[in-house]
Amino acid sequence: MADPDLDFTSGDAGASTTFPMQCSALRKNGFVVLKGRPCKIVEMSTSKTGKHGHAKVHLVGIDIFSNKKYEDICPSTHNMDVPNTKRNDYQVVDISEGFLSLMMDNGDVREDLRVPEGDLGKEIESKFAAGEEMLVTVLSAMGEESAVAVKPMTK
Amino acid sequence: MMAAVGAPEVISQLESAAKVLMAPPSMVSTEQRQHAEHIFLSFRKSKSPFAICKHILETSKVDYVLFQAATAIMEAVVREWILLEKNSIESLRTFLLTYVLQRPNLQKYVREQILLAVAVIVKRGSLDKSINCKSIFHEVSQLISSGNPTVQTLACSILTALLSEFSSSSKTSNIGLSMEFHGSCKRIFQEDDLRQIFMLTMEVLQEFSRRENLNAQMSCVFQRYLALANQVLSWNFLPPNLGRHYIAMFEATQNVMLKPTESWRETLLDHRVMDLFFTVHRKIREDSDMAQDSLQCLAQLASMHGPIFPDESAQVTYLAHLVEGLLNMINGIEIEDSEAVGISNIISNLISTFPRSVLTALPNELFASFINCLTLLTCSFGRSAALEEVLDKDDMVYMEAYDKLLESWLTLVQEDEHFPRGCFVQPAVQVFNSYIQCHLAAPDGTRNLTANGVASHEEEEINELQEDDRELFSDQLASIGMLGRIAADHCIPLLTGLLEDRVTRLHGQLQRHQQHLMASADPGTVERKVLDDLYEDIHWLILVSGYLLADDPQGETPLIPSEVMEYSIKHSTEVDINTTLQLLGSPGEKATSIPGCNRTDSVIRLLSAVLRTSEVESRATRASLTELLSPQMGKDIVWFLRRWAKTYLLVDEKLYGQISMPLSTAFGADTEGAQWIVGYLLEKVINNLSVWSSEPELANDTVELLVTLVEKRERANIVVQCENWWNLAKQFASRSPPLHMLSSTVQRTLMKALVLGGFAHMDSDTKQQYWAEVLHPLQQRFLNLINQENFAQICQEEAVKQEIVATLEALCGIAEATQIDNVASLFSFLMDFLSSCIGLMEVYRNSPETVNLIIEVFVEVAHKQICYLGETKSMKLYEVCLTLLQVYSKNNLGRKRLDVAAEEDQYQDLLLIMELLTNLLSKEFIDFSDTDEVFRGQEQSSGAGRAVSAADVVLYGVNIVLPLMSQDLLKFPSLCNQYYKLITFICEIFPEKIPQLPEELFKSLMCSLELGMTSMSSEISQLCLEALSPLAEQCAKTQEKDTPLFIATRHFLKLVFDMLVLQKHNTEMTVAAGEALYTLVCLHQVEYLELVETLLSNQRDAVIYQRLADAFNSLTASSTPPTMDRKQKVAFLKSLEEFVANVGGLLCVK
Repeated sequence: MADPDLDFTSGDAGASTTFPMQCSALRKNGFVVLKGRPCKIVEMSTSKTGKHGHAKVHLVGIDIFSNKKYEDICPSTHNMDVPNTKRNDYQVVDISEGFLSLMMDNGDVREDLRVPEGDLGKEIESKFAAGEEMLVTVLSAMGEESAVAVKPMTK
Repeated sequence: MMAAVGAPEVISQLESAAKVLMAPPSMVSTEQRQHAEHIFLSFRKSKSPFAICKHILETSKVDYVLFQAATAIMEAVVREWILLEKNSIESLRTFLLTYVLQRPNLQKYVREQILLAVAVIVKRGSLDKSINCKSIFHEVSQLISSGNPTVQTLACSILTALLSEFSSSSKTSNIGLSMEFHGSCKRIFQEDDLRQIFMLTMEVLQEFSRRENLNAQMSCVFQRYLALANQVLSWNFLPPNLGRHYIAMFEATQNVMLKPTESWRETLLDHRVMDLFFTVHRKIREDSDMAQDSLQCLAQLASMHGPIFPDESAQVTYLAHLVEGLLNMINGIEIEDSEAVGISNIISNLISTFPRSVLTALPNELFASFINCLTLLTCSFGRSAALEEVLDKDDMVYMEAYDKLLESWLTLVQEDEHFPRGCFVQPAVQVFNSYIQCHLAAPDGTRNLTANGVASHEEEEINELQEDDRELFSDQLASIGMLGRIAADHCIPLLTGLLEDRVTRLHGQLQRHQQHLMASADPGTVERKVLDDLYEDIHWLILVSGYLLADDPQGETPLIPSEVMEYSIKHSTEVDINTTLQLLGSPGEKATSIPGCNRTDSVIRLLSAVLRTSEVESRATRASLTELLSPQMGKDIVWFLRRWAKTYLLVDEKLYGQISMPLSTAFGADTEGAQWIVGYLLEKVINNLSVWSSEPELANDTVELLVTLVEKRERANIVVQCENWWNLAKQFASRSPPLHMLSSTVQRTLMKALVLGGFAHMDSDTKQQYWAEVLHPLQQRFLNLINQENFAQICQEEAVKQEIVATLEALCGIAEATQIDNVASLFSFLMDFLSSCIGLMEVYRNSPETVNLIIEVFVEVAHKQICYLGETKSMKLYEVCLTLLQVYSKNNLGRKRLDVAAEEDQYQDLLLIMELLTNLLSKEFIDFSDTDEVFRGQEQSSGAGRAVSAADVVLYGVNIVLPLMSQDLLKFPSLCNQYYKLITFICEIFPEKIPQLPEELFKSLMCSLELGMTSMSSEISQLCLEALSPLAEQCAKTQEKDTPLFIATRHFLKLVFDMLVLQKHNTEMTVAAGEALYTLVCLHQVEYLELVETLLSNQRDAVIYQRLADAFNSLTASSTPPTMDRKQKVAFLKSLEEFVANVGGLLCVK
């Protein structure tokens, strides 16, 4: 018997980019919006003011796109925004002028994503130059997107 | 004597190196510094440096160079001992002593180092009896009688150096000799020379204590001898016949109690010794440094026990004298801050050392005065400790002293049947009252009051790492609780009255706030001070009540303390049961408003006072005053209720000789009272989980109370009859607010409790219905979700992800609920999920946080269940774990991420995988599945008889994860440890599987072992060495040469050989390395001989060559030809120890 509240069939059109969650229910390794940026929670601890005070949550997060560190402290009853995040794997079909050409599931090709900076970008470019077939993982949240990982295609 | 050729050059080189080392960091470069260090290191290693060292000592003006010369002498003497003439050693010793005597103005560190060299020479000499201590003592006593303070100080330094050199293997200089050697030196020393030192010291103290005025210089000498006396009295007397292994353990003990051998009887039983220390203390008590030493000497004397006492009456006489002296010392003085700890040490030592029979044999009056004095001291230290807390002092001396005294009370009253009946009641009342007083706010108490009566109140930041008071002060609370039981007649009504009063006030205060809020609707104006004072009062009253009413023993059923039981029985005739039940059942009413409330059982009334507190809290939450409440008080309440429920709820009459009627009527099995209270507790839990989801600790304590209610079948039977329980289950299963806002650990524990409850007694329909409410929705929702056609598309949606995470968390909770009687049903339930989880691994391969949680589910299942599983079920679990690892490996090999968390994520995954493999492997040594399986190992070597063993799975698993383990990842200490633990286990348990490994895996395993042996911590190195013996034995068993394993062990022979013979290693590793070496030598005798031959042929010096050759010969003499036989191995290990002592340092000579 299916629960009527559970509706997983609808698409995400018009969905909000974040949703609220009580601070105490956040989890380490999970995501949260700190100073307006989508972050991965790398540290979470509680404290209180005075022995009979109420809990406050101290969060340390790392911006999932810029790798910058953010911190925040708030009462544990507060609601924090949690970003909706998505990760998808796409096959790299071409690289030109610093942009990746990626093959979508439905066969379409998108060409709007930059080759990431740093080691990962170099890795992608050298693999591509060597003719290796590979998948990149694209992470998206709050309207931003970036390639975050690369893996050779399994035969 | 060899002329010091080029001495001036050497000296100037050393002196300029010293200048570099002493220069401020900004002046010299790291390279310069390293170079300078290297110069000293190689200087100290140079051969026979005696002549040049003497020359340096006599000519150089640079202290640091003098220090290094002394060190070089010390090291070289030990290294070249056998090669040196005895009289040249003797003259070296005399030279050093004279040198120091003639130079009173030497820097202290140089002098101490030279004396250390003397002490080392004396000690090394005592091994072959070539040097006699007697002459030194003669010289020293002459120095003492000189009357010259400088010379006397020097004498003291000599004695101190000797003492620490002989005292223990930890203080002794590293001279590469066996523990046995150190042990026997120490035994000889403590019989005679030590007593000599003590007598000399006593003479000096006697002399000084007679003087009227001591000038600063004199009192400095006095202090040094006092410290020396303390060192002697703190000597850890080595009993005869203590094995090498035990010596190390024995010497690791801190707080040595004085247990001298019989030969000390005459010396220490002489009352004048004790009197002298009391006199000395009186004389110097205002000097806080010296007072510490004199009090410590007395504390050591108070701990004296063992063969020194010929009989009990000698002990009684000694103790009486000690107690008299102590009372005389304390009475009539105002105790200095610096005396508190010392005095409490004396008392605590004598109470824990002397048997009850000796204490009770003291004259009555003396004993009474002692107890009286102890009572007053305890109360006074308690008050001063409270003051220290208010002032937030760094050094809490009174707190330490108070802790000691409370601990002593616990020791005393725990065996109070030996003492006159009731003799501790009045003291207990006093100590208890003063504790309560210190913890309550004014006007009843003195909390936060400083000496001048000013109350301080400040709010500090408290982080989650800080322990709760109930843990932080658990020792104090245990003692106070125990004293409260002794004086139950006074203490239980006192606590009840205070708590009832505070609850009434809290209720009134909250009502006022509510009216105020309704009027002004501005919460900002609320004055917290009054509330916080009430919360703090209630906090301590509940903690003390909890410790008084019940114990919390780990792992056994706690019993109602006999004193509490007796107290309740004693008054049961005056008690009206119905009124008592009425009082219990109406937590919403004021206790005193119930007619006849004074004829109720006091133990039940104390519980109901806590229930009243709980009720005020719950009502405040319903009135939306949660913000005004104290989460700390909420924790205290559920902590108390949990502790109480474990002991009193459904009290089992069979466990007690006599039982109180009120208690059994109120809480016994099949009573309305028990049912009512279970219902009440359940309601409390449900209320807390919904209002306090934001307070992780409170939510956790609450859910632990729930686990307590269901983990015992009898309690669970009542719980599942409550409608509330079913509501809770349904609510949790539906994942609706507010339960889903709880933190993940709390949700797991809640799931665990709900599963445990399902194994309570229910008729089969009800049971079916229960599971349909609790577990099936979980399965149903999960299956509905993952079986949707478009699951792959929607899997990234937040709602879906949350659903998945909640399911995985719930699975961990279910696994945690595993017990031997429910494992069968839980296992099959979980197995269905595990297969689906593998599918999830694919779907969520990009989401490290989900992958991590999936692996954790497997870890939990293996951890909790594998030990109960039979063969087929184990196989199923092995298989699914293997598949998990394959999928993980496939998705992660060659994957590269750029974010900063990448390494951390991978580390967490691998740590979990190692844990999983270790859990699977644990099946091989912990197996409860059925008795036949347990005994099967005796017929065949374990694992060999089965088609697939845990080893196959684990090795396969290692094969999969090994390529993912990078050197960088091994830098995470916990991962590194787990990894090496795992591979050592594998080698020890399944050596026969190692040769069959795939080539690549075999190679990486051997590389790991070598890496671990040579370049990791000593702990890891030891693990690797332990893995070698079984591997070598395995080779010997199969007798196949030229297998990869055979070749690998040959390589390890060289490694272990070098490690033992050529490198400096720590002695604790000698055994592990020796065992490995022996089995390897058995296997590769020819190669071993070649190694020895090569080593010998490199020696140019004929004497050293011979010594080495002899040493190698005697090393293997007892085991030729070496065979893998235990007896021979033991003989080899023994010879190895001598070998290391003999030539260990020799090969390091340049």
